Amino acid sequence: MKPGLRYLLAFVAAVGVGHVGTILAAPNAIMHLAMSKLSEDGKLINAFRFSDRTTSASRWVVRPSPDLAYASCVYDLSKGPILVDVPATPGGGYVSVSVFAGNTDNVAVMDSIHSPQGIRFILQKERKLVHPGDDPVIYTPTTRGIILDRRLAPTQAAFEVADKARRGDSCAPL
Amino acid sequence: MPASARKAAIRFAGVVALGLAVGAASAFVSMKHFGMGSEEHMGWAGSRVTGSSEAGPLLRARVALTGLLALNRSQAIYFTRKVDDLGEPLREGCHYRLSGGPLPGRWWSITAYAADDYLPQNSDDALSVDASEVRPDASGAWEAEAGPARNPAMPWLSTRKAGNFDLTLRIYNPSEQAQRDFGTIAFPKVERLSCGEPQ
Repeated sequence: MKPGLRYLLAFVAAVGVGHVGTILAAPNAIMHLAMSKLSEDGKLINAFRFSDRTTSASRWVVRPSPDLAYASCVYDLSKGPILVDVPATPGGGYVSVSVFAGNTDNVAVMDSIHSPQGIRFILQKERKLVHPGDDPVIYTPTTRGIILDRRLAPTQAAFEVADKARRGDSCAPL
Repeated sequence: MPASARKAAIRFAGVVALGLAVGAASAFVSMKHFGMGSEEHMGWAGSRVTGSSEAGPLLRARVALTGLLALNRSQAIYFTRKVDDLGEPLREGCHYRLSGGPLPGRWWSITAYAADDYLPQNSDDALSVDASEVRPDASGAWEAEAGPARNPAMPWLSTRKAGNFDLTLRIYNPSEQAQRDFGTIAFPKVERLSCGEPQ
């Protein structure tokens, strides 16, 4: 094979590998960065972190909604399941809790419409033992991921009410 | 290894490295601009698989890059547009009228994002217009304005320092019908009123 053709084929193959590899690796890599940021470089694991009211300066995640109060918990199930407890906002304000796996999949979502008294569940890795008790169990395919509590808070007054309520959030080992 | 063989190996490695870099760059462009698996209605593009494990590799990568931690469609549906009703790019220096009727959900909002996918860097405290701000008439019709300066007569979405921006419409707790068929949604219009220099 001529050297020029060999280089051309190697270049084309490398472009293909680089393209597909980047697309396949991007979700996990971006999620890893988000988990690192939200856990303050691993210092805040299995505990909620409360974001300030969204402003122009908010850069913890792309396209943040200025209408919501966010709280996030980076979970790590390597030592066992965790219990997640998210109280309702007084006055019935909308609350939504989403569980994301480490590959960006939104594996579960619960809200105050179906659970007006608050949201409570056990989170554990797939194929692990089911825990007895009344609390629902949610399974995630990855050991690490993110739980996001969003509360409707389009005004400063609504944000203050939501903020007070979300301070009762917990995501801790059983 | 002879010097000529070493030279050829280094050249080969360089070609491969360049190819990998070009491939990664083209993937980034794809993730940023293509493959959202979306459908468009009245200028608004949305995807039914955002935030869902049904998403394919490119959509999953694109969501990770431009909409990480998005809600799935039972909680919220998202629509984005980069152009006005005449197909012209949305620009910071222009004023736009947003108008529509009732939207099929418990609550909705429209937000402007700059080209870097973050909120415009201004301190106008007008980052979105939402269902609680507009004043619908008896038929449910409402109006708002997007632009770099406030129109006191209307709810205002500030686009100051947004550059070329896009608008995102979020409908929270959308109706079953809206989740199933985006074509049933009466999307807001985006009409350009005037353009001037960015402020």
